[in-house]
Amino acid sequence: MTDPIRRLPPNESAVAAPGVLPGARPTTLSDEVVLADAAALELTWADKPGLWGWLTAVDHKTIAKRYIFTAFLMFIAGGIEAALMRMQLSRPENTLIGPDRYNQLFTVHGTTMMFLFAVPIMTAMGLYFVPLMVGARSIAFPRLNAFGYYTYLMGVLFMYVSLFINMGPDAGWTSYPPLSGPQFSPGHRIDVWAQVVTFTEIAALAAAVNIIVTTFKMRAPGMSLNRIPLFVWAQVTVAFMIIFAMPAVATASTLQLASDRAVGTHWFNPSEGGDALLWQHIFWFFGHPEVYIIFLPALGFITSIVETFSRRRVFGYTAIVLANITTGFFAFGLWVHHMFATPIPELGQSLFTAASMVIAVPTGVQIFCWLVTMFSGRPRLTTAMLFILGFFFTFVNGGLTGVMLASVAFDKQVHDTFFVVAHFHYVLLGGGVMPLFAAFYFWFPKVTGRMLSETLGRWHAWLFIVGINVAFFPMHFLGLNGMPRRVYTYLAETGWGPLNELATIGAVIAVLGVAVFIVNAAISWRGGLFAGANPWDSYGLEWATPSPAPSYNFVNTPVVLGRHPLWDTGSPLPVVTGLRTDRREVLVTTTFDAQPDSRHKHPTGSIWPLVLALVMAELWIGSIFTPWAVLGGLGLTLLGMLGWGLQSVREQDVERVDTGAEIVEAA
Amino acid sequence: MTAPRPSPQESLGDLTELPTVTFGHRSLMWWGTLGFMVIEGWTLALIAAMYFYVRQNFLDWPPMRTPLPSLPIPTIGLAVMLVSIVPQILADRASRRLDLGGVKLWLLISSLISLVIPVLRWYELWSLNVRWDSNAYGSAAWLLVATHATLLLLDVSDTVGITLFYWFRRMPIKAMSDVADNSFYWYFMALIWVPIYLIVYVGPYVF
Repeated sequence: MTDPIRRLPPNESAVAAPGVLPGARPTTLSDEVVLADAAALELTWADKPGLWGWLTAVDHKTIAKRYIFTAFLMFIAGGIEAALMRMQLSRPENTLIGPDRYNQLFTVHGTTMMFLFAVPIMTAMGLYFVPLMVGARSIAFPRLNAFGYYTYLMGVLFMYVSLFINMGPDAGWTSYPPLSGPQFSPGHRIDVWAQVVTFTEIAALAAAVNIIVTTFKMRAPGMSLNRIPLFVWAQVTVAFMIIFAMPAVATASTLQLASDRAVGTHWFNPSEGGDALLWQHIFWFFGHPEVYIIFLPALGFITSIVETFSRRRVFGYTAIVLANITTGFFAFGLWVHHMFATPIPELGQSLFTAASMVIAVPTGVQIFCWLVTMFSGRPRLTTAMLFILGFFFTFVNGGLTGVMLASVAFDKQVHDTFFVVAHFHYVLLGGGVMPLFAAFYFWFPKVTGRMLSETLGRWHAWLFIVGINVAFFPMHFLGLNGMPRRVYTYLAETGWGPLNELATIGAVIAVLGVAVFIVNAAISWRGGLFAGANPWDSYGLEWATPSPAPSYNFVNTPVVLGRHPLWDTGSPLPVVTGLRTDRREVLVTTTFDAQPDSRHKHPTGSIWPLVLALVMAELWIGSIFTPWAVLGGLGLTLLGMLGWGLQSVREQDVERVDTGAEIVEAA
Repeated sequence: MTAPRPSPQESLGDLTELPTVTFGHRSLMWWGTLGFMVIEGWTLALIAAMYFYVRQNFLDWPPMRTPLPSLPIPTIGLAVMLVSIVPQILADRASRRLDLGGVKLWLLISSLISLVIPVLRWYELWSLNVRWDSNAYGSAAWLLVATHATLLLLDVSDTVGITLFYWFRRMPIKAMSDVADNSFYWYFMALIWVPIYLIVYVGPYVF
């Protein structure tokens, strides 16, 4: 294949090396030195072998792989629940599943897909690739990262153990009081929901802080703000959204709903001055941004993939960054459009209608930027690109029904019907899952060192895209014909039978598509073609290191001279040397210009993240049964923190301390 | 694992002269601390917003037959909270001078003061003169004070823990930066208490 770089338009952002380290002279590194460094780094950075090493692992790639694997299992679990519901609804007055089981199924399906699949897998993609894409050795806080994963895992286990002992939550993934309150939902089903939400929020917050600090402080020299890859921009925007959205739902579920149920507070009890609508406000203040928290990382995947396979630099980098940030801000200003069926003042209705329509603009800007990129490039229709085309088709449809739903009059007509179900599945499957599958095909070689089969990939793409559209398109009509969501059956006289049957057939096709993917991944994991460092001729720093990436990510920190390092400079990239190889050290750079600022001693493997996650699980799960568990849990948490701290201060070493006034060497 | 990338590779600079311990916004931990401050500050702000939301459901605040909060102990608590910032500032400054004696002294004083605060907080909760399960007013006031108390408890443990480490172990020089970050977090916990005190204890007298 010819070198794609020659055909590229000049990149105005590529300038000569901006004095990486003032006064430094370029030197050439010999093969022997690089190989010796690589061997030393592997000894220093690799997680320990064996079970102990497995439990104490902190490599961000190891943790992210576990995250992605667990979250994908949750996608399958949520998919099985969806398939069961589709079977039940495939004909009128079906008796496959009774009402109580059905309530648990749709609640657990929604909670799984939103909290246990979509958000974790999107942030996990960031946890894997952000450090690689900014050229860092590791993530900012590896132990916090491991803690986040284990916390999430506790949530997964708790939810599914509960479901199998008939304690699965059953008030919908939104758990509105008064239905979810102590009066109408006795027992522990709703408590399970409230605590599972907390587990996943803590995990998401840990990931968000990690991604922000990694991006702000650990970028490769030369990667100034205007050269950050769009994938990373999307992840950072989402991380900020997580920081402002997740505390709302954690407060609502754990501090308010759970305490209304456990210790008799009156947040949502109108007879004592509480307010059931308050729940909807807080929940959707989180819930609407949540959709964009799932969707924005997908936009980052799309840019990387469209650029690589169109073989040109993306059109409108700055516009896309600004559109990302604008979407992030607007996402917090539309939550009330979920509440149009409640008594909202007319001015409020108009404002939130306008905001809900306006948010289509930045998304439209991004879509036009990609279209221009594809039309003016030379697109290669790989499986990843097929999924991106599926995204355009499916997501734009979902976006259009979204603009329809922003109108109060229309919304009142179809509120809580299958029209809404069709809308948000189009948005989430088109805007989230299809780009995610594209990303799997694109980055699988980097993670495993092997290529996924393109033949099976095409089968997967066509089955999935067609299946999803056949499953969800009829639901628009079902909704317009008045079929409410969250009902376990319907009468034959309603005439909803045939379209429901069609939807179920679509679901079967989509399930086949996912099955093809699982087979593909299982075969390719060990038997796929070897990928090499950069199988797609892509541009990002993640492709400048072997596949799979070694534990230390890069032998020497690369220097970035443009937005598309491998296309701008060619391989091998220039580097900076001098990070120690005999202990874990990462390069800290300045926030704006990414100038080297210090070498930071990095944490080693630790068992404490797992211990602390177990202790917190005891606290939250115990609190369902007795409030005293909180006190016990707090005590254990303090002990866990003490252990964590002791491990951190045990390692003594000579350091160069910059006090601001002088640099002192001391131990 | 495959072999590293092919050389020859060009090095544009050498990092060995860079410092390995820095303070404030140059250190990673400072940024992590800032991140958690934003999360916790935002959580408290949301709870305050809900407090005012619930306020709209009542004609009187506190509601009928609910007494006003008592002010003496919460006001003493606020004063102690503000005073506790001083030794934290001095510990912060000592750490930036790498002054081990100063760090140990001011950490000890900070710890002693910080241990008083949870005790005071217990009485501050009862100074609300309402139970969390009396009405929504009680739920809101308790949640605001108790959430701050929980975060404070973690910060007190952090301060006491780091003090014990400094008095009973030979600490690595790197920990000096952690002392500065601990103070940084303490300023936040102490200062954010001012608006909460005003809302929960003084507020009912005003609105």
